[in-house]
Amino acid sequence: MNDHELSTLVGAYALDALDEPERTLFEAHLADCTECTAEVVSLRAAAAELSHTTTISAPAAVRSELLSTISRVRPLPPPRAGAVTALNQRLPRRRLWPAIAAACALIAIATTGWAVQEHRQLTGHRVSPTALSSVFDSADLATATVSLGGSAHATLIYSKAKQRVVLIGQHIPAPPAGKTYQIWMLGPNGSAISGGVFRPDPDGTVLVQASGDLQHTAQMGISVEQAGGASRPTPGAIVADIAI
Amino acid sequence: MRFTRASSAGPAPAGQGAPELAELLTASARGDEQAFARLYDQTSARVYGMVLRVVRDPAQAAEVTQDVYLQVWREAARFDANLGTVLSWLLMIAHRRAVDRVRSARSATLRDDRYAATQSDRPYDQVAERAHANLEAQRVHNALQDLTESQREAISLAYFAGYTHREVAVLLDLPLGTAKTRIRDGLIRLRDALGVADE
Repeated sequence: MNDHELSTLVGAYALDALDEPERTLFEAHLADCTECTAEVVSLRAAAAELSHTTTISAPAAVRSELLSTISRVRPLPPPRAGAVTALNQRLPRRRLWPAIAAACALIAIATTGWAVQEHRQLTGHRVSPTALSSVFDSADLATATVSLGGSAHATLIYSKAKQRVVLIGQHIPAPPAGKTYQIWMLGPNGSAISGGVFRPDPDGTVLVQASGDLQHTAQMGISVEQAGGASRPTPGAIVADIAI
Repeated sequence: MRFTRASSAGPAPAGQGAPELAELLTASARGDEQAFARLYDQTSARVYGMVLRVVRDPAQAAEVTQDVYLQVWREAARFDANLGTVLSWLLMIAHRRAVDRVRSARSATLRDDRYAATQSDRPYDQVAERAHANLEAQRVHNALQDLTESQREAISLAYFAGYTHREVAVLLDLPLGTAKTRIRDGLIRLRDALGVADE
């Protein structure tokens, strides 16, 4: 999908009417397109007006439960000075676009067997949008997103038929000293196959890809393990699991 | 991030009571629970009503509404006035969550969805019965009348029923590229009719 094609999605994006792969692509595009950003803002404002037609008082219980909950929850600090403020918490940073493109280059050339590439190794790569869309055109392309607490998100883009999966993480905290993240393919009967270990970039970006037999995988899991990784996930160490 | 459109230069004020909401949100970011309660009181009918319209089930709508405001409480300091008003931000978070909810819960076939869509293809009339008959609602209804029927339907199916543009295309028997165009053109027309950007 080229920039022009992406910009035609602006209305559907403002109404949350994109499916997950399109949303990921469009948000990457938004980070670099001030015109689309301005249009999204103005169309969202128009969409917000639609809710004048559906105004209904919320049940009183919502208010009381909410107010009792927030007294136990600390508001997050402001974003770091100079950070790009996202249109929403999922908007990738400016640099994510080449990262996704690089991921897709890797998907295209990935061989069998599990292998994880660290983001650092990928940032130098660039591929054309055409190559990108050819990968995203996989008939069974699917995505899944999981929150890792706060603004930390992990999105999987995967094709079971092509046996490939890309993990994109944002705002992922660094693992504790001496620890590493490890990605797992979890089978329905308790099997766990390692997809390799990874570290987020200093800014919390993660981009890793792996390949393997996804047909017999029910979930992808992310655990925090001792540096170097483990042969099986340590009980209780799984910080996120994502059904695929 | 900067605007390039002249009409949007600077923080968009827009909407009655908006400065007040911004102040309440700022206070909330500092942990002021009373300010947050006032923010909730001034906005929750808009949020809950929209969420209810999308998810349809009152229990789920209540749950989603709580999640929305909990997120707003936690992320109040992340609000950026350059990217719209407080209310627009709130409704964006709410709509995203409501749509995520219906999509993850949607196990019915498209055939069933098509039935549901036929049952709700006149949402504005339906909701008008339940909604406060206020001037703002009337203003929006009037602006919607300026849209083509197909634009109105496409926007309604996407916004109030939570369908993707691909699903909207199927439901309305449109070629794929057409649904997203109807949605965009319709929204632009709505925006211009309501004077949203220049308020």
